[in-house]
Amino acid sequence: MPITYAMMKQATADLYSWSLRKVPDDTKAALARARDTESNPVAQRTLDIMLKSAIAAETSDRFVCSDSGVPVYSIALGTRITMDGDIKQAVVDGFAELVETIRPPLLKHVTNPLTNERGYHGKDMPLITWDVIGGADYVDITCQPKALGSGRWAALEIFSFPSLARIEEYVMECVLKAGSQHCPPVVIGVGIGGTFDHCAKLAKLATMRPMGSRNPEPVVAAMEERLLRATNLTGFGPMGTGGDTTALAVHVEYASGHGFTPVAVAFNCWINRRTRARLYDDGRVERVE
Amino acid sequence: MKRLTLPASREAIRELSAGDMVLLDGEITITAGLPTIQRLAECANGTRELPRALEGAALFHLGSYSQETASGGLEILYMNPTTSTRFSPLMPGLIRHFSLCMVGGKGGLDAACAAAMAEVGCVYLSFLGGGAELHTSAIREVVSVHWSDLVAHYRLVTLRVEGLGPLTVGIDAHGKSLYADLHDAAARRMPEILAGLAADRGD
Repeated sequence: MPITYAMMKQATADLYSWSLRKVPDDTKAALARARDTESNPVAQRTLDIMLKSAIAAETSDRFVCSDSGVPVYSIALGTRITMDGDIKQAVVDGFAELVETIRPPLLKHVTNPLTNERGYHGKDMPLITWDVIGGADYVDITCQPKALGSGRWAALEIFSFPSLARIEEYVMECVLKAGSQHCPPVVIGVGIGGTFDHCAKLAKLATMRPMGSRNPEPVVAAMEERLLRATNLTGFGPMGTGGDTTALAVHVEYASGHGFTPVAVAFNCWINRRTRARLYDDGRVERVE
Repeated sequence: MKRLTLPASREAIRELSAGDMVLLDGEITITAGLPTIQRLAECANGTRELPRALEGAALFHLGSYSQETASGGLEILYMNPTTSTRFSPLMPGLIRHFSLCMVGGKGGLDAACAAAMAEVGCVYLSFLGGGAELHTSAIREVVSVHWSDLVAHYRLVTLRVEGLGPLTVGIDAHGKSLYADLHDAAARRMPEILAGLAADRGD
């Protein structure tokens, strides 16, 4: 039984709708841990309100944030799947149908960058990154809507044979520049190496990892831990009004490249919107988160 | 936690300090649109007619989904803050012209805005981003919706709210800005933070 157009259309639309209504469980747990260790009274209160807001949206099945962002998908195709129909068009059609039917309705956030006109549809929308998983009999789909609040502050710079010290300094420059703006506490995804586009993709994939998971390579895991400590020494705090909790996690991914080394830094705001499902070749749909 | 009724007196506004948390009752006017702020700037310089009086008002950078009800009324399905900083260039003129008592949203405003706020007696309030359900639950009445030619979150919407918040005073009416202070402190601390990273790496 193949992965069908209808399965893809339904699953991608559902993942987007679900992502707007629920803060991931690992993120709520991280916020609660931060509340326990936060020393700033305003930050404590703000973290309390964040958790209250997350639970209120989930309970009422309504949006956590009015800015539903734009639909962004990371889709990986297993090499053992079979396909029936245009599954790429299915994602486009799923979103088009969703904007007509979703309740509450979405605000118009899809923006033409040349005119700043906003609507529900636009060139290349939804934004999809395609990948392949060797040997898998499923399609793995993650939906991660992106909005101005945190999307605005992602950055990339290309260095020549940088030291770890320079790479980490650049990450901290990005943290300082974003400051109070990106609805902290954030998840920070860092990509190192590859090419311009590959590095940016690594940073995005890093933000998708389970909250606080460590890179399997000890050198990178140590970098993640010290960059998290360093970020939280800046003092921007929840909603950028001060406190010990500016980031909930720093995730770093790298790829080999040439002597030019891009470093990309991406941020997810505190609601860390992320849903994920697997569509199996036997017709099963598994919601992973 | 302080509770303020709008319109608030300048005395009550000046009693607030950066870092205080407040709840609001009364009328607020909201928009999340740069075109809307640009229109308000045109109203202030006399080239466009102002659709409703804003003298002494609380003007917040909040986006909302407004729609007509079956009975011909208006309802707000949800509202939430947007990033204020992109409005910074136009806000000093609006703060002064309308003698706004409160502005707000998320992320703060720049030093020129803070100076205008200190002149007229105005505070910046930080709303929780990702707080749509909590903020929306404080709405008691849709007073008016103007500029409906714009997309929903850009419209100029006036609401009556009860217990809106808690909201954090990010910039007070004495020129103290948490945003500027925190940025300056983080920048000053950065050499020490980078030295800590070097020590952790064993450089």
